[in-house]
Amino acid sequence: MGGDGTMASQPAPRNQTPAIVGAIALGILLLLPLAVKDEYYLHVCIGMMYFAYMASAWNIVCGYTGQLSLGHSALCGIGGYISTLLFINAGVSPWIGMLIGGVGATGVGVLVGWPCFRLRGPYFALTTIAFAEILRIWTENTEEFLGIQLRGAQGISVPLRGERPWLFQFDGKAPYYYIILGMLLAVMAVTWWMERSRLGFYLKAIRGDQDAAEALGINSTRYLLSAMALSSFLTALGGSFYAQFFRYINPERNMGLDLSIELALMGIVGGQGTVLGPVLGAFLLTPAGEITRATLGGKFPGLHLVIYGLVLVLAMLFLPRGLIQPIRRLLGRRAAPAEGEADLA
Amino acid sequence: MDPVILGIAVVNGIVLGGLYGAIAVGLSLIFGVMRVINFAHGSFLMIGLFIPYWLWLLFRIDPYLSMLVTAPALFGLGYLIQATLIAPLYRRERAMVLEPLSVLMLTAGVGLIIDNLTFMAFGPDFRGITLDFASKALWIGDILNINYTRLIAFLSSIAITVALSLFLGRTDLGRAIRSTAQNRDAASLCGINVMRIYNVTFGLGCAVLGVVGCLMIPFYLVSPSIGLAFGVRSFITVVLGGIGSIPGCILGGLILGVVESVAAQFVTATSASIFSFVIFILVLFFRPTGLMGMKV
Repeated sequence: MGGDGTMASQPAPRNQTPAIVGAIALGILLLLPLAVKDEYYLHVCIGMMYFAYMASAWNIVCGYTGQLSLGHSALCGIGGYISTLLFINAGVSPWIGMLIGGVGATGVGVLVGWPCFRLRGPYFALTTIAFAEILRIWTENTEEFLGIQLRGAQGISVPLRGERPWLFQFDGKAPYYYIILGMLLAVMAVTWWMERSRLGFYLKAIRGDQDAAEALGINSTRYLLSAMALSSFLTALGGSFYAQFFRYINPERNMGLDLSIELALMGIVGGQGTVLGPVLGAFLLTPAGEITRATLGGKFPGLHLVIYGLVLVLAMLFLPRGLIQPIRRLLGRRAAPAEGEADLA
Repeated sequence: MDPVILGIAVVNGIVLGGLYGAIAVGLSLIFGVMRVINFAHGSFLMIGLFIPYWLWLLFRIDPYLSMLVTAPALFGLGYLIQATLIAPLYRRERAMVLEPLSVLMLTAGVGLIIDNLTFMAFGPDFRGITLDFASKALWIGDILNINYTRLIAFLSSIAITVALSLFLGRTDLGRAIRSTAQNRDAASLCGINVMRIYNVTFGLGCAVLGVVGCLMIPFYLVSPSIGLAFGVRSFITVVLGGIGSIPGCILGGLILGVVESVAAQFVTATSASIFSFVIFILVLFFRPTGLMGMKV
C-alpha cells in the first residue's frame, strides 16, 4: 500500500494555499457548535471527530510502518474499561482514569507488539486480530474479575452525576465537542511532529525495507515499538472519551473486530501515512454512514456498511494512496512520487 | 471428567474438524498460490449455505443435489471477483515486492458488501432446513452416536480434500497452479497465463465452499453474520496446518475442532474459541511454518 507522507522531504515552492485552507477549516470547526444547535447533528459531528481521532491514532503505527493492525479496538476497549471501572469503583475522575488507561494500553500494546513485530504482512494483521479477539471474548464472558464487576456482554453504564466537569460530565454536547476537537488537533500535531522527527525517518526506512534498514544499524524493533506505544496510548485515550461521552461501554462495540476494521478503513480510504488522510477518511465516511443509517436505516439496515465496503473497494482500486492524493494536488502541493518510482530513482 | 462425555466431545470435534479443514482448504489454496489473504472467505461460505437453503425452501431441491448448482455458482463468483477486482491490484503491484496487504483490505471490503447485502435481503435470522433422515444417527456401541448428516459431511470433506490434492498433483491445470505458486515469473516464462491461473485458483477456492455449504446446511443454521467467524477460524486452521499444505488443513481443522469441542465442556461455548486463538498465536510464534508446512 502506498502513501508515505513525504511532505517533509519535499521542500515544495512556498505555497500559501494549504495554510489558508487549514485556517479556514479550523475556524469552521471551532465555531461549529455555535451554528449547530440541534443535538443530533452535534452528536454526528462528535462522532466524526472521534473517528478522525481514532483513525489518526491508528495511523501512527500502521500508516507509518506499513504493518496493518486490526487489533486496535482492544486498546480502545482497555482505555474505556479502565477509566470507567476506576470511576465507578474507586471514584477516580475519568480525566485521571484516561491517563491510567492510556498507560495500561501502552503496556499491553508494547507487550503484544514486541513478539508480533517479528511477523510481517498478513501474519501480523491476523495475530493482532487474535489478541484483540481473545480480550473481547474474555471480557464478554466475564461477569466478575478479582471482585470487579465487568458485567460481561451486558456492558457497563457510567452513572450520571450532573454537570461535573471534573468528572467528565457536562450538560449538553458542546463541551464534549471541544474536548474531542482538542484531542484531534493534538493527535494531528503529534503525527506532524513524528513525521519530521528521527523516529519518523527511521519508520519510513523500516517501511521501505526492514532488512535494509536493520543492515544500516536501525534497531527496527525499538522504533516500531515506540510508534506502537504512542499509538496505543492515544487510542486508549479515545476509548476513554467514547465511554464517558456515551456513558456506556460494552465489549462488542468498544473492542470488537468491526471497530478495528472501521478504523483501518477510514485511515486507508483517507490516506494512511499522512497527517490529514485519516481525518479526511473519517470526515467523509462517518457522516455518510450516519446519514444513510438515519434516512434509510429503517428500511435497509446495514446499508451504510455496504457503502463502507464499496468505498473501500473503490479506494483500493483507484486511489490506493487515499483520497488525500488528489486533494493535495488540488491544493497545489506537488504530489509525492510513488514509492516504487522513488526506489528506482 | 466423565470419559463418555469426553469421548462424545472428541468425536463431535473430529466431525466438526473435518468440516473446518475443508472450509480452510480454499483459503489455503488461494494463499499458497496468490499470497493473498481472502478476508471475504467466510462470506463466500455464507453464500454457499444460503444457495442450498433457498433451493430447498423454494423448489425442494435436495441439498446434496444442489451442489451441482452451488459449486459452479461460487466458482463463477470467485473467478469474477478475482478477474475484475483483485487482478488490477496485481498488475499494479507487480513491479514492487510488496506484501499485498491492499488485497486483504480489498477483500475485507468485498466481505462487508456481501455480508450486509445478505443482511438487507434476508434479515438477521438464523435459518436452517430439516431433512427426513437428519435425525437418524449411526450408533457406535450404546452411547456414542453420530448423526448421518454430520457423518456424510465429514467423509465428504475428506473426499473433497483428497480430490483437490489429486487435481493439483496429477492434472495439467493443477501442475500449472502449483508452478505458479512456486515462482510466478518462472511460470510466466514457461507460457503459463498467470492471471488466468489466479482467476481459476480463486474460483476453485470458492467452489469448495459451495460444496461444503451444501454439506453443512442439513444441520447448520445460517445467518448473514456467520462469515467473519468462519473466516477467522479458517485462518487459524490454515496457519495451524501449514500454509499451502492441503493435508495440513485437515490436520489443523481436526485439532481446532477437537480443541473447541472439548474446551466447550469446561467453559461456555462462546469462550471456547479463546483456546483456538491462543493456539494460533503459539503456532505463529514458535512454529510459523505450521505443523505440516514446508520452509517458506
